Amino acid sequence: MKAFNTLFRIELKLSIRDMNIPIFGIALPIIVAVVIGLVSGNKPAFEGADYSMITVSFGAFTAIAICATGLMGMPLTVADYRHKKVLKRYMVTPVSPALLLLVQFVINLIMSVISLVLLYFICTLFWDYHMAGNIGWFLLSYLLVVLSIYSIGMMLASIAPNLKTANLLCTLVYFPMLFFSGATIPYEIMPKGAQVVMDVLPLTQGIKLLKGTSLGLPIENTIISIVILGAVSLICMVLSLKFFRWE
Amino acid sequence: MKKPLVVKGLRKSHNNTVAVKELSLEISKGEIFGLLGHNGAGKTTSIECILGVKKYDSGSVELLGMSPAADRKKLFEKVGVQFQLTNYHEKIRVSEICEVTSSLYKEPADWQGLLKSFGLSGMEKRTVAELSGGERQRLSVLLALIPNPEFVFLDELTTGLDSKARRDVWKYLEKLKSGGLTIFLTSHYMDEVETLCDRVCILKKGKMVVTGSINELLEQSPYDTLEEAYLWYSGEEESENESI
Repeated sequence: MKAFNTLFRIELKLSIRDMNIPIFGIALPIIVAVVIGLVSGNKPAFEGADYSMITVSFGAFTAIAICATGLMGMPLTVADYRHKKVLKRYMVTPVSPALLLLVQFVINLIMSVISLVLLYFICTLFWDYHMAGNIGWFLLSYLLVVLSIYSIGMMLASIAPNLKTANLLCTLVYFPMLFFSGATIPYEIMPKGAQVVMDVLPLTQGIKLLKGTSLGLPIENTIISIVILGAVSLICMVLSLKFFRWE
Repeated sequence: MKKPLVVKGLRKSHNNTVAVKELSLEISKGEIFGLLGHNGAGKTTSIECILGVKKYDSGSVELLGMSPAADRKKLFEKVGVQFQLTNYHEKIRVSEICEVTSSLYKEPADWQGLLKSFGLSGMEKRTVAELSGGERQRLSVLLALIPNPEFVFLDELTTGLDSKARRDVWKYLEKLKSGGLTIFLTSHYMDEVETLCDRVCILKKGKMVVTGSINELLEQSPYDTLEEAYLWYSGEEESENESI
């Protein structure tokens, strides 16, 4: 517990000093929300829709932070520590890899939750956002999306042989997910053919789930997403621990 | 009593070249043991195999009666390690790296006291990157002592230190040795080896050339100074000029 607390406190300071996560995890989703809010905030999401654009997109905004922290922040920190031999130094101490990964997980989770809270306030304040769905269900689905995206990130960090490859892998996963999962460009405005392709991305399923629960849609509509996200989390978590390397 | 470190027939090859050949050594409690050899002789590889950081091809290692790879968590409560060229987290401060390191152990040493002994007090708020080479080197030795170890590995412990700082580090290590600490070190400075080491082992291209006390080494060589004897054993007095 002492190790977790100290590592947590100091790693949190380091990640704030580094500024990457605050910029991409906290500022970026707010910018996207403000831009979409200014362009079409209170207008209906599409002609004849019951919900405004902001209401439909809220879940997607929150996913941007999950993406930035889980696919860039966490894996690149771990890959960087491996590259700098920080992990090698940890290897000759009693600390377990699981604890080191947990600390990174919690720090990035906190960053994305800060982003979630700020988004909620901004959307409520300026565009009269109300979460139609049950907040508890929304938070549960948020957690599931976090688990699945973070475990993908962890797996990338574990399998990448070096920092360069880790950077490349994360970029290859992060940007398509950011643009083609509905996180930044709304899923609804994409052509039908493109939507089919987008459905392959785990984050698309995550955003469907977040949208579903934030709009209060029946759970049956999102059951496929839940199953996919659960499976992705489990598989990637096992792989990331199995392939974890200190050096 | 059981020896704290027993290495038998350690062998490690890398891309078809043998880095360590049949290395066998035993170190007694409270002893300072020096592993010598010129750059590329296999010193660091030997240490990394002993610590379980690198996998070796054959042989066995018993450190404090444990296997470094299998008993990692338990063993490294009592073993401190200073790697050559230690790197740190970006932007981490001196106090932070000390706090993090000491939080990993059940009974850590008082790191503030260590900072004082190593002439680093007052530098807590500086980032590690801002330290001078010598200060950073002292910090890396200090971090290896935070676990309050029974056994410590120091790979090129005083590279980059000025004479005064080197003497301070030696004095401190000798104090710890008299308290029962066992030390395994590598060094390129023969004055340091003569001052500190009870026994040494010289490696040449991964193979042990000679092992024994400094007097034994001198007796078996045609020379009277350790520097000359070392060069004779490690084959550097021949005009190979590998390092130039």
